[in-house]
Amino acid sequence: MAETAQWTPRSAWAGIAQPGTFGAAGRGGVTATLLEGHGLASLIAAPGGAEALARRVEQSLGLALPTAPRIVSGAGHDVIWSGPDQWLLRARSRGEMPSLIAELARYAAVSDQSDARAALRLSGPHLRDALAKGVMIDLHPAAFAVGDAAATSVAHLGVQLWRLPDAAEGPAFEIMVARSLAGSFWSWFAASAAEFGCRVVAGRG
Amino acid sequence: MSAQPFRLASGGLIDRSQALSFRFDGKSYGGHAGDTLASALLANGVRLVGRSFKYHRPRGILSAGPEEPNALVELRSGARREPNTRATVAELFDGLEAVSQNRWPSLAFDLLSLNGLFSPALVAGFYYKTFMWPASFWEKLYEPLIRRAAGLGRAAGAEDPDHYEKAFAFCDLLVIGGGPAGLAAALAAGRTGARVILCDEDFRLGGRLLAEKREIDGRPVAEWLAAALAELESLPDVRLMPRTTVFGLYDHGTYGAVERVSDHLPQPQPHQPRQRAWRIQAKRAILAAGALERPIVFPGNDTPGVMLAGAARTYANRYGVLPGRETVLFTAGDDGWATARDIAAAGGKVAAIVDARADADPARKALADRLGARLFAGGVVERARGGRQLDQVTIRDASGATHALACDLLAVSNGWNPTLHLTSHQNGKPVWDEEIHCFVPGTLPAGLAVAGSAAGRFTLATALEDGARLAREALGDLGLSVAAAGPVPAADDEPCGLKPLWRVTGGKGPVFPGKAFVDFQNDVTDADVELAAREGFRPVEHLKRYTTLGMATDQGKTSNLSGLAIMAEQTGRTIPQAGTTTFRPPYTPVAIGALGGHHRGKAFRPVRLAPTHGWSSEQGAVFVETGQWLRAQYYPKPGETDWLATVNREVLAVRETVGICDVSTLGKIDIQGADAAAFLERVYINGWKALPVGKARYGLMLREDGFVMDDGTTSRLGEHHFLMTTTTANAGKVMQHLEFCHQVLWPDLDVGMVSVSEQWAQVTVAGPKARKTLRGVVDPEHDLSNEAFPYLAARAVTVGGGIPARLFRISFSGELAYELAVPAGYGDAMMRALMQAGAPFGITPYGTEALGVLRIEKGHVAGNELSGQTTARDLGLGKMMSSKKDYVGRLMANRAALNEPERPSFVGFKPVDRRERLRAGAHFIGVGKAATMANDEGYMTSVAHSPHLNHWIGLGLIRGGSARIGEQVRAYDPVRGGDILVEICSPVFLDPEGARLHG
Repeated sequence: MAETAQWTPRSAWAGIAQPGTFGAAGRGGVTATLLEGHGLASLIAAPGGAEALARRVEQSLGLALPTAPRIVSGAGHDVIWSGPDQWLLRARSRGEMPSLIAELARYAAVSDQSDARAALRLSGPHLRDALAKGVMIDLHPAAFAVGDAAATSVAHLGVQLWRLPDAAEGPAFEIMVARSLAGSFWSWFAASAAEFGCRVVAGRG
Repeated sequence: MSAQPFRLASGGLIDRSQALSFRFDGKSYGGHAGDTLASALLANGVRLVGRSFKYHRPRGILSAGPEEPNALVELRSGARREPNTRATVAELFDGLEAVSQNRWPSLAFDLLSLNGLFSPALVAGFYYKTFMWPASFWEKLYEPLIRRAAGLGRAAGAEDPDHYEKAFAFCDLLVIGGGPAGLAAALAAGRTGARVILCDEDFRLGGRLLAEKREIDGRPVAEWLAAALAELESLPDVRLMPRTTVFGLYDHGTYGAVERVSDHLPQPQPHQPRQRAWRIQAKRAILAAGALERPIVFPGNDTPGVMLAGAARTYANRYGVLPGRETVLFTAGDDGWATARDIAAAGGKVAAIVDARADADPARKALADRLGARLFAGGVVERARGGRQLDQVTIRDASGATHALACDLLAVSNGWNPTLHLTSHQNGKPVWDEEIHCFVPGTLPAGLAVAGSAAGRFTLATALEDGARLAREALGDLGLSVAAAGPVPAADDEPCGLKPLWRVTGGKGPVFPGKAFVDFQNDVTDADVELAAREGFRPVEHLKRYTTLGMATDQGKTSNLSGLAIMAEQTGRTIPQAGTTTFRPPYTPVAIGALGGHHRGKAFRPVRLAPTHGWSSEQGAVFVETGQWLRAQYYPKPGETDWLATVNREVLAVRETVGICDVSTLGKIDIQGADAAAFLERVYINGWKALPVGKARYGLMLREDGFVMDDGTTSRLGEHHFLMTTTTANAGKVMQHLEFCHQVLWPDLDVGMVSVSEQWAQVTVAGPKARKTLRGVVDPEHDLSNEAFPYLAARAVTVGGGIPARLFRISFSGELAYELAVPAGYGDAMMRALMQAGAPFGITPYGTEALGVLRIEKGHVAGNELSGQTTARDLGLGKMMSSKKDYVGRLMANRAALNEPERPSFVGFKPVDRRERLRAGAHFIGVGKAATMANDEGYMTSVAHSPHLNHWIGLGLIRGGSARIGEQVRAYDPVRGGDILVEICSPVFLDPEGARLHG
């Protein structure tokens, strides 16, 4: 019977990455936080419906939907531009996703993507050096401002990434990759960050 | 370790306090930090370093840079052995091991040097003339023989143990070359705050400043250089990249570069790559790559001890090595004289200066006198001799009299060729400059400017001016302020008069006339070029291919122009009339490993893992690559050694009790909007408007050309909400197709689509006990009875006490079957819950092999049949083509050729002798007919062993199709030697009424 089975969710990083350190010892050039527990949904506005959706998101979440490749963040949610009239909505708490999806479904095609991505927060003094080994766009502060977002490819796989305000230890970015490709992404990331020394910690998205 | 008899007591940019030990051909030598392998060998008096490609002639060190054609060695040993390494750019490290190439049995005594005696047979084009017949001898006899005799170094033959990586960089200004022009450019740009990258292939920045005794801004160059580098290092947005060769120029300001991160170390430091391939995106670039000195073609010009004059002075000034004790200078211009001066200053004796120019400039005469050198104005060196080491040159003076002079170094200077290679990479043709006797850059690629020697402006002062000026222009072009660019560094102009001398002829030879080499690395002589001219291979491209001139790893850096000049002379034309030298990437050889970077072995391409992958691994599954996905192929049990036994067990379990199989890899596309149903009507051939909410339907879509694109089930989850599934292989293609249809064909439709393939873990539960198994997993409030949840029902349910899930009653196996989907994070838990719930029935996980057998038994089409060459009618699905609506591919599918009754169409096959094995790919031939293309009637697309029927069954396409059921044909399989009789039958081998499905 169902009640005897353990319905424990498995992290997208399970068996791939775990807290600890790797690479050059004592350098701490990069910190990778494995993000868990967030909710995620894709929003696609109906033709001509973007304004209505934006008003609704503003009312409900207090966030202005960006109209360019940017992330707009609030206390509990972020909205990330992912294409013309398309966004990702992230909620810190996964529990509210069903009601959020039901509410916004009147204004947009909303699809739950909470399990579809493996997510990392990355920071550190050598983060840009590590990312430069695969990210094919310019992440220099003058070219990629805090809050800028991009859909691009890294090591032959698609990613979405955006820049957070600088952290104490250096620049900070978040990056999302298709769940099935988390292992291949990590293979590239670990090889690329190793020379700078990398600390891996568990965290909440 | 021996002493370094040719090392100067002081001077140069080597660190005498840091002694390094290295081995060459098994013998130990000493050198210093800052040496190259070439400079260290010269310091030790080693002159003979290799044998030539074709004639196995003794060869020494010609140059001090990347153009080196002779001094090629195998560096390192074992798996790190690297052939054809230029000793002139190999940075010395402690413990370096190098071995000379292309000699047998030893460098000093080479049996194959006898090739030189038979050289009349080895002239240009000898491959084409000699090894013509019989053709079958080529592969087995001629080629292996030639490969052994002619060739360069040996590849390691073992996997490279080092890591390589790629990297991407961006800048306002890329400066290529760290000599005076490049430094002046980087300083001017860097000071303004612009983003600057400066690359230089050398391990030390400075270019010619490292080898010249000059002044800049009134200071010795070394002092100026140190200050310039310190300033550049202090600028946060300037990146200095020594050991980095910009090897290619590509579209839109993209440059390829390779950084030799660890080549100067015995092996890379932990976590460091051996090399890093950069892709640099530059808004503007300045090519300041300097120039390469040109040799003169004369008999014996390849004798070890004959060296380019600029190289000789580099060894003296930069490396503190006396390149020869008795030097003769043979020059066609002013620049060579600096070598005579610097060698004398380093303590070497300059025995003679042979200046091919007839005019006797009094200043030059005075300098020769001061150096104590005999001056032969208007003279030439007509022969160099000495075999393994130069010991004598024959000088012909202006009057024609000859003089034999003993010497151990002949420094040769014939002017310089601008290193303009990158300007040709986008097909730009260099142009001949009659004033300075060299090719200079022609039409430049967008965004690139050329400074200093690379532009043919050879003096130090112009290099500095060019760099500073072009950097200002580039930044101005970008709209950046140049107010802070600072002053232009100043230097005196040096004389650079030149009257080039391409070759020396007319010498009275002994029995064997001495060979005069044009291309040292490929052993192309002036006689070869003359032969090419006589035989009509006159256009420069023909010359190259006929003689192999310029085709070696150095790509003719020291030879192309000499060859062109001789061809011009032979054909009575000028050099520009004879042709131009153009270049393609890479500028110098780039290791394949660097281009591959991280992506080799298991990381060759991304691998996608299903949400149940971990569980399947625990079960000991064997995986198969299907596109990027790794899918469980079958789950062997202990004792099962034959995959077929495993698959038979899995198939029977599904038919008899229940099995589960991951189908998460199928594409899943969420389609929502008021026009979602209308959209599906247009992309599928069958109808969707009438599909009730909560129901699934099989759909088939065509390409615009009328052939089948993909199939799958699509479920209506809400009035305006559908979930489409695609085959695993076509998931990306279908998504792209739908996006195209919406964005381009019907942008007015209110429909949005997004892939949810990654969101859901989906598992097939198939078999008579499927419902009972699911009952133990799906929360009890959901009624799963046949009445409440009939065939093709598709609804949201919950599992595990409220976890959202979706249940679809669809079947690929023909059994009572469901697909259960949960958020991907619960995929692992779902597998375990199903295994637990199905345990009482002997639930069996099955893989893609059993999945295939089950569908073949039911005659369902899959990837093998959806080959892109089949129509809906070919596959027996023509009845699905709606006549009540329009859809993608409808018109083209009605083309006459696609509707001929004779088109091969879909049926089943079984062997007449039931013990025979069927083979996919076998072609059908009529009984008694010859196996010819004309008699080909179609082919077998899929086969399986049916454990249910206990014989092999097949699906395929054959002319006439189902009208021929009952006929026998040959299944002809020449690849595997098969030729058996098969019977045409219905493609449905099991339960044609579908009773099991509705159970």
